[in-house]
Amino acid sequence: MTVRDGGRARGVAATLGALTLVAWPALAGCGGPAGTDGAGPVRLTWYVYSEPSGSFARAAAACSAASDGRYTIKVSWLPTDSDGQRQQLVRRLAADDSSLDILALDVTWTPELAEAGWIVPFAPADARRLTEGMLPVTVTTGTWDGRLYAVPLSTNVQLLWYRTDLVEQPPQTWDEMIAAARRLAEQGRPHYVEVQGAQYEGYTVLFTSLVASAGGQVLTDDGTAVVLGEPAERAVAAIRALADSPAADPSWSTQRENDNRLAFEAGTAAFQLNYPFVYPSAWQNDPELARRIGWAQWPTLIPGRHSRTTIGGFNLAIGAHSRHRTEAAAAIECLTSRENQIRTAIDGGLPPTIEDLYTDQELIDGGYPFAAAIHEALRHATVRPRTPAYQSVSLQIAHTLSPPSSASPGRLRELRKTISDALQSKGLVP
Amino acid sequence: MAAATATRTAGRAASAQPRRRRRSAAPARVLLGWSAANLVIVGVALVPLLWLVSLSFKTPASITDGSFIPNEWTLENYRGIFRQSLFTRALLNSLGIALISTALAVALGSMAAYAIARLEFPGKRLLVGMALLIAMFPQISLISPLFNLWRILRIFDTWVGLIIPYLTFSLPLAIYTLSAFFREIPWDLEKAAQVDGATPAQAFLRVIAPLAAPGMVTTAILVFIFCWNDFLFAISLTSTERSRTVPAAIAFFTGASQFAQPIGSIAAAAVVITVPVLVFVLLFQRRIVAGLTSGAVKG
Amino acid sequence: MTTGRRAAPLSAPVRAQRRLAWALCAPAAVVILAVTAYPVAYAVYLSLQRYDLRFPNDSRFVGLANYTTVLTSPLWWEALAVTAVITVVSVAIELVVGLAVALVMHRAIVGRGLVRAVVLIPYGIVTVVAAFGWRYAWTPGTGYLSRLFGDATPLASQVWGIVVIISAEVWKTTPFMALLLLAGLALVPDELLRAAKVDGANAWQRLTRVTLPLMRPAILVALLFRTLDAFRIFDNIYVLTAGAYDTRSVSILGYDNLFTALNLGVGSSLSVLIFLVVALIAVIFVKGFGTAAPGGKTGR
Repeated sequence: MTVRDGGRARGVAATLGALTLVAWPALAGCGGPAGTDGAGPVRLTWYVYSEPSGSFARAAAACSAASDGRYTIKVSWLPTDSDGQRQQLVRRLAADDSSLDILALDVTWTPELAEAGWIVPFAPADARRLTEGMLPVTVTTGTWDGRLYAVPLSTNVQLLWYRTDLVEQPPQTWDEMIAAARRLAEQGRPHYVEVQGAQYEGYTVLFTSLVASAGGQVLTDDGTAVVLGEPAERAVAAIRALADSPAADPSWSTQRENDNRLAFEAGTAAFQLNYPFVYPSAWQNDPELARRIGWAQWPTLIPGRHSRTTIGGFNLAIGAHSRHRTEAAAAIECLTSRENQIRTAIDGGLPPTIEDLYTDQELIDGGYPFAAAIHEALRHATVRPRTPAYQSVSLQIAHTLSPPSSASPGRLRELRKTISDALQSKGLVP
Repeated sequence: MAAATATRTAGRAASAQPRRRRRSAAPARVLLGWSAANLVIVGVALVPLLWLVSLSFKTPASITDGSFIPNEWTLENYRGIFRQSLFTRALLNSLGIALISTALAVALGSMAAYAIARLEFPGKRLLVGMALLIAMFPQISLISPLFNLWRILRIFDTWVGLIIPYLTFSLPLAIYTLSAFFREIPWDLEKAAQVDGATPAQAFLRVIAPLAAPGMVTTAILVFIFCWNDFLFAISLTSTERSRTVPAAIAFFTGASQFAQPIGSIAAAAVVITVPVLVFVLLFQRRIVAGLTSGAVKG
Repeated sequence: MTTGRRAAPLSAPVRAQRRLAWALCAPAAVVILAVTAYPVAYAVYLSLQRYDLRFPNDSRFVGLANYTTVLTSPLWWEALAVTAVITVVSVAIELVVGLAVALVMHRAIVGRGLVRAVVLIPYGIVTVVAAFGWRYAWTPGTGYLSRLFGDATPLASQVWGIVVIISAEVWKTTPFMALLLLAGLALVPDELLRAAKVDGANAWQRLTRVTLPLMRPAILVALLFRTLDAFRIFDNIYVLTAGAYDTRSVSILGYDNLFTALNLGVGSSLSVLIFLVVALIAVIFVKGFGTAAPGGKTGR
């Protein structure tokens, strides 16, 4: 190595360095968030999942126009899956992001976000006005600690869908459903019961619906202690009864809502426990089959008592760091209004939360021939366990009772302990 | 991470003598055997890709028929994704971010690699060792702190915000690869050229640059693929179309309804983002192969 | 070949050389440290706190309690075991298959260019996207592989789930391994192989007695990098099973505790532990097997 080499090297280095320097400012130019404040209407950002029909975007535009220049709503899309939505939102909330004006929350997130101080409650008078005429069970999901944090935008509930050419009288109880499937299997006809069984949130929903239909609950009302008990044993027994019968789809343990729909459309099933999206889908993919689909209430576990399913849906909340809370509240009122709920229900297939819409002919003709059944299911419906630690609780339920064929009273005892740990944020989550 | 050895050899090859052919006459049986092996490799490498291609051409009604070859063909999945700025913008972001990161990584990496290969200084081993160790840090644990930091620096959801971590994780790879190459370059040739009357610039351009090029191209491709491939940073440090890359955008694809899996769109997107890499590979195949494997030549 | 290794008094040229070297390395070092130093320190700090985003008011210093929580949890040990199995099995398969592919690429007479181009496809394809392909292939009703095996549902069981994960991982990374080994193959002089042949060694003996020993350094480095990388496996599992049915790796476990449970304290202690395991593997390779440490002395 000589000094001369060093000189050469310096030349090379200088060239490379210059290259870097040229590139850098050009890049930095893309940085920096755009300013949001200024004259004219307040710009609100609405974080919501990218609903395929575009009904949310239309609602945002309609409300912006109707605000008389008070605000404009810019939609910021979130991923389609609920975990992805939650992660994106929480990451920004934890960072005190002031651009989170309006948040579309899954019904199970209210306690968690409220407890963390990331969303703000509505004043009691506003709360009453905003939720007037809404189904009480949907309002429960937006409420925590006696205060309304999120206004219901849409709801969802499962029905029992069945093939009218295979089943004359829809079964009323879980056992009747399995027995009917068994008879069909013996005749060599399509007989599967399509229901969610993969290790994920949908399986937790199944379990909590079964527990509720057996007259029990997973947690106490205040969400601080485990209940489970005898109804939970009946729920586990019901899962096992299906798993051990010919009615179970061989791929049950991997099935989510959409897999159920596909299997049902493929014609191998006689029953399906699923949300209403399966109905328009069947009309689109196989009208011949769609004509032969009937609907009934979810099967119960206690003969004579109505089944109690747990609801889904989205609520709208205001971010705690929003600089435009007043305008955000006004926008939420507009977005959850009657006209927008009808639009979202018809275009996007998301059932409304305003109760009397279920007898509204416009809605019924707009793709909800089963509106009465949904309404009935919603009136008996319940909610998933309400606790800030819901995510951990849900993961423990799905984890401990999976796969369905292994659910047992022993697993249930294990579950009692792991849920209890989760409630105290002890231990790892699976 | 590790084309390093590969490149070390490659560098060595650069110093070697001209190519010599061998194995001129092979028995037909052996030829057949190798050809069969070729076929198996090509098949195994291609089938999963062809499956994605097949899915991308299936109609919604036939996408769940489980058939390897589509029964009904459609271009709708491609039209669908190219209709949405969600995808086209993500493609632009992916390309831009990966190309800029690659250029910067090769530039910065070359500087450091040059120092490591040719200069003697204390802390050299420590530097490279630390860099590689840091590159092995579980990326998951960097996400939350980086998110906070980026917001303070106002580079969250920007190209720069992704380019920086990509540089961090690809620089160790680039430095290691390039220093292996540079170490094997016969720098004396440069002096020889100067003795023969060339100016230092000419000597560098005519003698050293061609020798360094294969290593730099190889490094560039490795880095590009790394950036192109990233998922975790992409989902964590972006929030809008401004900087969202394709792997992150896939989570935003929607099926026909809330619960429907957008299988066709994902498959079409998969094919589209595989194409640039294939083009790269085919265009530079000789270079990569020369860089990585000039093994037919030996010194 | 390079100079300056001899200890010499710090003459002006040597000092100039050092300054230059540091100047050249500085930009890269700054970029690398800027992104990692703060987060790494922060992760260590967080791992000593009770810090659950859902209960922000209960945050406090808890010493090593989070580590106790993790180390006494069966979930951590199961995830560690799953990760270890995935790492060992997939790297072992990759080594054998990669060597075979490298030999084919090295020796093949026909279609060498085709093989080389095609082999780069799995390496070039985005992991997440390839994983979707595998997931759909194994989804009953949708996938050809599931249909081939009688509507199999491998992703709903631990053992078969891991088998699918390993196969996806092997498919994706074997080409990379093959390229590394191909470079190592180039180190084997033809003359030696010819001489061995003349001495009556058969093909297998030539491979095990001549080729492999000469490739040892290349093999070790390839193994080191792939082992460390495989240990961090995330994308494939995230898409294929999301960790369901006890197929979660340590990275998935860390991700779930950080971003789903929002338990930054426990999640960060997981991160630190993963890092320590990775560092341990690296040390074992470098000290135990004498893998050429990066930045080490120049070749021969």
